Amino acid sequence: MDQKTISQEILLRMVKSFVKNEVAPYDMEIDHTRSYVNDLLAKVRQNDFLSLMLPKEYGGAGFDGRTTAKVINEIAKGNASLAVTLEGHFKSIDQIVKYGNDELKNEYLPQAKNRIVAFSMTEPSGGSNPMGINSHAEKHGDKWIINGDKIMITNGGLAEIYCVLVKTAPTELSIFVVDNEMEGFEYGKQENFLGLTGVPVGEIVMNNIEVDDSHLLGKVGMGKEIGDSAHDDARVLMGAVLTGIMEHELDLVTDYATHRKAIDTPIIQMQGIQRKVADIAISKETTKLLYQKAAWMKDHGQDYEEEAAMAKAYGSRSAVKAGDDSLQILGGYGYSLDYPIEHLIRDARAMEIAEGTVEKMRTAIALKEAESRA
Amino acid sequence: MKIVVGIKQVPETTNVKINEKTKNIDRRGINGVINQYDRHALEAAFEIKAKTNAEVIVMTMGPDDFVVSLQEALALGADSAVLLSDRAFAGADTLATGYVLSKAIQKINDVDLVILGQQSVDADTGQMGPIVAEFLDISQVTYASKIDIADGALHIKRYLETVEQDITAKLPLLLTVTDQANDPKYVNVVEITKSFEKPVITWHATDLNLDDDRVGQAGSPSIVRSISSPKAVAKDNHKLADNPQDAADELVKILKEKNILMEDK
Repeated sequence: MDQKTISQEILLRMVKSFVKNEVAPYDMEIDHTRSYVNDLLAKVRQNDFLSLMLPKEYGGAGFDGRTTAKVINEIAKGNASLAVTLEGHFKSIDQIVKYGNDELKNEYLPQAKNRIVAFSMTEPSGGSNPMGINSHAEKHGDKWIINGDKIMITNGGLAEIYCVLVKTAPTELSIFVVDNEMEGFEYGKQENFLGLTGVPVGEIVMNNIEVDDSHLLGKVGMGKEIGDSAHDDARVLMGAVLTGIMEHELDLVTDYATHRKAIDTPIIQMQGIQRKVADIAISKETTKLLYQKAAWMKDHGQDYEEEAAMAKAYGSRSAVKAGDDSLQILGGYGYSLDYPIEHLIRDARAMEIAEGTVEKMRTAIALKEAESRA
Repeated sequence: MKIVVGIKQVPETTNVKINEKTKNIDRRGINGVINQYDRHALEAAFEIKAKTNAEVIVMTMGPDDFVVSLQEALALGADSAVLLSDRAFAGADTLATGYVLSKAIQKINDVDLVILGQQSVDADTGQMGPIVAEFLDISQVTYASKIDIADGALHIKRYLETVEQDITAKLPLLLTVTDQANDPKYVNVVEITKSFEKPVITWHATDLNLDDDRVGQAGSPSIVRSISSPKAVAKDNHKLADNPQDAADELVKILKEKNILMEDK
């Protein structure tokens, strides 16, 4: 066995045990209280989960994209919110690693072991349309002055370091890295979302934040490219989250259908139930294959935009449908707020919108298909 | 001070399948994990290491893929690892395994303390600690539930069925520990990567000065003729009252009727 295989196996053993003891038992409480109870974030930091894919030279564990996605998958089985909080952190770190200059990397990457990093594009005036944003950075001498308002940020309010998309000219998008200790940085309103309720989603306001060139990600004008890269990363990991949600649903429905009897027969023996259970299993396995393929392509330096979009588009719709089927199998228990099925549907539903809507995913997939045949 | 911790890789699942032909556990397709009690043995060694700066060597006997569990123990804090692996060891029972382990511990030389879990969760014999201690001809304390080291001696608490024992034991010593002994930590994500800087040595049969008749199947006097899981049978179900006070009264009454509790004198 090579070092990579052994490390991955040890890591997954640990993650399974951590999820079983520290995450899964608190899944309902996290959803109901909208917070990470059981000191979960402290335990996540203590065990260096935040450093999972951070390169070794910055003090991280340096695991690859596939391993990171598998860990996200395992965590999502226990609680999808925590998996999404980590997804938001990892995709942001990845852009600093990929596009940051040495000064920026040396400043922020070692901090990312303990401080959560977020990626913020959306504003009240634009989300899926990045040119619709109003935040801007103006050059004054050797400094940039940043102003603007970013909303609906995954981990907004919890994260301390932010990659922010701004205009550096009327039709020019760029990304800067700012943090919550800078003068002019303020936290704003927190959203009150339907699902993934453990994940803080909030606003930051930037009032004349002053940074130098080292805080620019890539070069001026690369905002869209870096934003797309962050989206691709996020979509692979969301495929992993959605797989975890469907695995959770399968655990619940198979257990219920095996023990629940109708006319002295476990309902798992009935074809109507079997079709639903089988469909959930097929959707789960398909989403898993899609995200693992996309992660493999990423690790091998291939263009994985289309596969990432497929993992998220297919996975999110499938997980909502699988949740609805699960609810139907569990009947009254499925419809109860005291059982987890209903919140799994709410959690999955978020991912038909976040990190690019499923409609936008289909546009990306269709254009890639046409492009490959042109 | 030198501590050897013996660990075993066991199937992750509790739903263990038995190979009908060999009557042994069928490990195919099942992920392995470090035996739960051995995690407590490792943690006990790490706690002593924190106080004494002892060297902790982790050891296991098994096929090459057991190296995953050794590497995990290194990531948890062990200093080095020894894998005892040879086709000649296949089919070993507890006696033959204990013989090989003790020979390997002797080869390490100057070992002050050997720590094992109280039993493995797959075979459940609880024999390995006593067997290794006998081969090494050192003192042993089994089922240690609290372990402290001071003035070069170990202070151990054992909770047995009817008595609680406080034992002070001199080194060298072999300990087996219960799951009450400590609270094992999770592997730290970054330490997994760093653990590959630590040495893992593989010893084969020829490295250990063994008597051929005492290893593997040849050295194993025990033969498993059949193996089965006990059937879960529900009987005498009786629902107690909902009110806790009434339920307690009712329970005491039933226990007295069945002579499990004695009547008040």
